[in-house]
Amino acid sequence: MPRKNYFLLIPSLTCRRKLEFIEGFLLIIPSVLVLFLFGYFAFLYAFYMSFLKWNYISDPVLIGLDNYIKAFNELLRGLTGASWYEVPFFIGLRNVLIYTAIVVPIQTILALVLAAIASSRVKGTSVFATAYLMPGFTCSVIIALIFIYFFSQRGFINYVMNLLIPGFGYPDWVNSKSLIIPAMAIVAIWGTSSNFAILFMAAMQSIPRDVLEQSRLDGAGPIKRFIYIVLPFIKPTVVYAIIVGTIGALQMFDLSFVMAGPQGGIEYSGMTVVLDIYRTAFMQFDPGYAAAKAMIFLILMYIPTVIFLRKYGGGLK
Amino acid sequence: MKTRTYYAIITLVVGFLLFIIYTMPFIRSIIVSFMTWEQASKIPPDWIPKPFILSNYMKLFRIEMFPRWVINTLIYGVAISTTNVFLGLMAGYSFAVLRYPGRDVIFNLLLTLMMLPMFVTMVPLYVILRYFNLLDNIVALIILGMVSVNTVFMARQYFLSLPRDYFEAARLDGASYIRIFFEIALPMAKPLIIAIIVYQFLGAWNAFFLPVIVLKSPENFVYAQGLNYAFSRAWYVEYTPIIAGTIIGSLPTLLFFILFRKYLIGGIVIRTYRR
Repeated sequence: MPRKNYFLLIPSLTCRRKLEFIEGFLLIIPSVLVLFLFGYFAFLYAFYMSFLKWNYISDPVLIGLDNYIKAFNELLRGLTGASWYEVPFFIGLRNVLIYTAIVVPIQTILALVLAAIASSRVKGTSVFATAYLMPGFTCSVIIALIFIYFFSQRGFINYVMNLLIPGFGYPDWVNSKSLIIPAMAIVAIWGTSSNFAILFMAAMQSIPRDVLEQSRLDGAGPIKRFIYIVLPFIKPTVVYAIIVGTIGALQMFDLSFVMAGPQGGIEYSGMTVVLDIYRTAFMQFDPGYAAAKAMIFLILMYIPTVIFLRKYGGGLK
Repeated sequence: MKTRTYYAIITLVVGFLLFIIYTMPFIRSIIVSFMTWEQASKIPPDWIPKPFILSNYMKLFRIEMFPRWVINTLIYGVAISTTNVFLGLMAGYSFAVLRYPGRDVIFNLLLTLMMLPMFVTMVPLYVILRYFNLLDNIVALIILGMVSVNTVFMARQYFLSLPRDYFEAARLDGASYIRIFFEIALPMAKPLIIAIIVYQFLGAWNAFFLPVIVLKSPENFVYAQGLNYAFSRAWYVEYTPIIAGTIIGSLPTLLFFILFRKYLIGGIVIRTYRR
């Protein structure tokens, strides 16, 4: 039995405990090795790479902070009005901030409305609930491809917009510099609001029935009940949804890749930070610079998250 | 009483409007997939395909690589579902049932990995795969996806929810924990196994980010990536075959959704209340 040798390594445990220790480790070791390799090792490797000048083939050269300085310079030059083709990192960051500012509030509110309707006791609403959840499980690329057709000049969206707002015109959303980000935001909202609606539905189901019943007897209307009882109850879930939604929106890649194309659209109008990192690494063959940009964006992404959590995340474990 | 009916009507009206918004893209695409491109681009839109044609679907299957994309995706989905079930269940069982030093530290380190976004690790992953000569190969995707933190977490939650007595009783009879895993835990985990398979398979079917980084030649593509590739070359000619492709692409989702709605929704809820 080869096991006996391992016993010696952990002398303080009883024989039975030692066996449990070994068996426990044998069971987790395949998963832990794989996940640590593709997680922590890859992260450290990316950190190391961010100090390199390299093109996958050449000998890597350590260049200190040059990649970081270059990235910050790109952001600064973007702020002071450099041309779009010089500063894709800045354009990507700007676009993604606009996109997030549109997507997160609307999708959170919409998800709350969907959840409220789906869990209301009005007859017939449970039929709707199933329909609300479908988009959340459909592939984002497939959703994007459907919507590209809807957003075309003679597409469905322009038709509906002209019915609602006469004289809206027939813009070509996907090929327009100013409309591509709103178009992506609409696709994202339609696609992901249902995921958050599921969370809210589950949270609403955990509200004790008698609390709602009591307030009903006290004469509070549905809207009052929603604001004063339901919302405070599910606040931790809402905070969680806002954080997850923001982190997800900031990392947007696939909608941009499909709708604007891997080149980032007309004058980078559909560029995002992750698409820029992808392009730097795999189209311009500069993995060091890509890694530095990824590190900077990671920090930019988590600082506001931590501040937000400190401020509003009291109920969140 | 009157205000109550008033609110019920508002709820129904708003609910119905949202119902239209959330189903319309699917309905419209299904209709359009049977239309000629000429009819599909009419404004105001036509609602009845005339003539009713199947050629959009035929054209799709005439793309030489289309069947390969479907097969690649099926291989990918089946492979990672299987590995996730075994590796994830083993780890989840160990984290939930066994007691040993370091267990919680390792588990927390795994959970922290959920916060590490793909855009940070994608370049190193590419370099690692390149080193092992696995680029442009579906095997690379399978290795990257063979177990996910999510699966381990779901499995742990599941085994924690089972009464410990099952395992303790077998333990007193002298069975080893690994034997208990195969003889007791595995047969009891049927709902968990279904949930993991549904999740991983749909994940593979919907995958885009990793395939775009790893796969280079069109015959190795997975479904979503292939459809986007076909789209990027056909846009100005004819869009209806692509719409037909999106319908085929949503079929597995629809099927899984109808059959396993409970598991899909449960999975999302579990992820929220981690810890």
